[in-house]
Amino acid sequence: PTGSVAVEKPTPYTFDLGNLLANDANPLPPKPDEPALQAAARDAAQALVNQLLTTCPATATASGNVVLALPDAATPLPREKPAPAAKEPTAWERFAARKGIRAKRRDERGKLVYDEEKGEWVPRWGYKGKNKEAEQQWLVEVDAKREREKGEALDPRKESREARKERVKRNERKMRANERRSKKGVA
Amino acid sequence: MQREAKPRNARSKRALAKKEPQVHENPKTALFLRGTSCSQVVQLALADLNSLKRPLAIKFTKKNDIHPFEDASSLEFFSEKNDTSLTVFGHHSKKRPHCLVFARFFEHKVLDMLELYLDPDSFRTISQFRNKKCAVGLKPMIAFSGTPFESPTPNAYTLAKSIFVDFFRGQETSSMDVEGLQYLIHFSAGEESDGQPQPPIHFRVYLIRTSRSGQKLPRIDVEEMGPRMDFRVGRMREADQAMMKEALKKPKSLKPKAKKNIETDIIGDKMGRIHVGKQDLKGLQTRKMKGLKRSRDVLDEDIPMVDADVNGSGRSKKERV
Repeated sequence: PTGSVAVEKPTPYTFDLGNLLANDANPLPPKPDEPALQAAARDAAQALVNQLLTTCPATATASGNVVLALPDAATPLPREKPAPAAKEPTAWERFAARKGIRAKRRDERGKLVYDEEKGEWVPRWGYKGKNKEAEQQWLVEVDAKREREKGEALDPRKESREARKERVKRNERKMRANERRSKKGVA
Repeated sequence: MQREAKPRNARSKRALAKKEPQVHENPKTALFLRGTSCSQVVQLALADLNSLKRPLAIKFTKKNDIHPFEDASSLEFFSEKNDTSLTVFGHHSKKRPHCLVFARFFEHKVLDMLELYLDPDSFRTISQFRNKKCAVGLKPMIAFSGTPFESPTPNAYTLAKSIFVDFFRGQETSSMDVEGLQYLIHFSAGEESDGQPQPPIHFRVYLIRTSRSGQKLPRIDVEEMGPRMDFRVGRMREADQAMMKEALKKPKSLKPKAKKNIETDIIGDKMGRIHVGKQDLKGLQTRKMKGLKRSRDVLDEDIPMVDADVNGSGRSKKERV
């Protein structure tokens, strides 16, 4: 059975769809009876549903339901607790801000790095790591100038290996010194 | 009074974190309690409102000797302990018969209160309507009818409207299943007229019935399901201005980030601005007219203009390569 869907009122409805709210400013009689109240409610419900179905974009979910995207609530309602204050930066955050340390990007964090020459992904460090490339060269040129000055020419393989070992030792030295310093501070 | 309990495990830590102020707030829970003398009507009304508000509702059964408008500290204590920010307190006295006090809290301190007197004759409970009720926990549709709610000056009716929307609106969502539009809570107030007492607020709850209408939009019919209450407006305590202002403040992170140099037209087209730097006009590449060069004036006076143009264009093409 068909029924009319339109709702015509002298004063139009105002809506707050975020709260599923409809306001009808049309005056009611001073002592409305039940049928009058029911009619007003029906009109309000019809108007609200019409507004919802016409203005809100509808999407279909996997299970076949129709979901409406509601706008933000428009009536200003008080919160129950005050808005949270901005969090204090932690000791690390303050240090990092002072030193200009920034977090590593996602592609800088992984172990594998793309080697253009070989065209494949190689580890940055560790077994067969790219950092040992210079030490594993099968052929090195002799630098004639250096040979004259120093005697035997520098062995780039030896050089780079020694530099790497030195870096590791330096790092460990610094870590031990840090530990000593922090332990001293606590005690 | 014991101060905050230190969380011993992750679960209690999470529970405590939920009660802290958050950017997106939890939906408000309501507390229903009764005074020392409470009529049967009011008790039934409290029970019905509790069932409407489920699961975000807590109902106390014991009697409490509280007078909200004189001393609300008890209510504030309950609000803090139960983490509720809405309270309905029911009591009955000869002077204030069948009284329901709706109170809202901010930071567990009373924000505003509204006293409503229930009309015992017109009251009908949910169980008196013989039909199948809707599911628990749905978001209701809310409607207000009548001019008193739209009054430009804040009065008891505008306060009632704010409190009722806050009370019944349920969880804030950005999407709603069409199937979930099952019931409507309707508040109406008749026309105000001088000399007559203030019009009562009629509270009705209806189930939504849809039927085909031959058009895209369905025909809606309503069927009364829930409690039927008529309230006379009583005392009210409006919110302190400063407190209300604080309560209405939105956290900064909720403000939409304004992207620079992008604006939306009135039509709705998204427009962007590109700022190009200032152009150095000295290095501007113009068309070369070799014939007009100063050095030529003296030497080649007899070369006609037409020839010069043709030759010039030919030469310039080669030069370009």
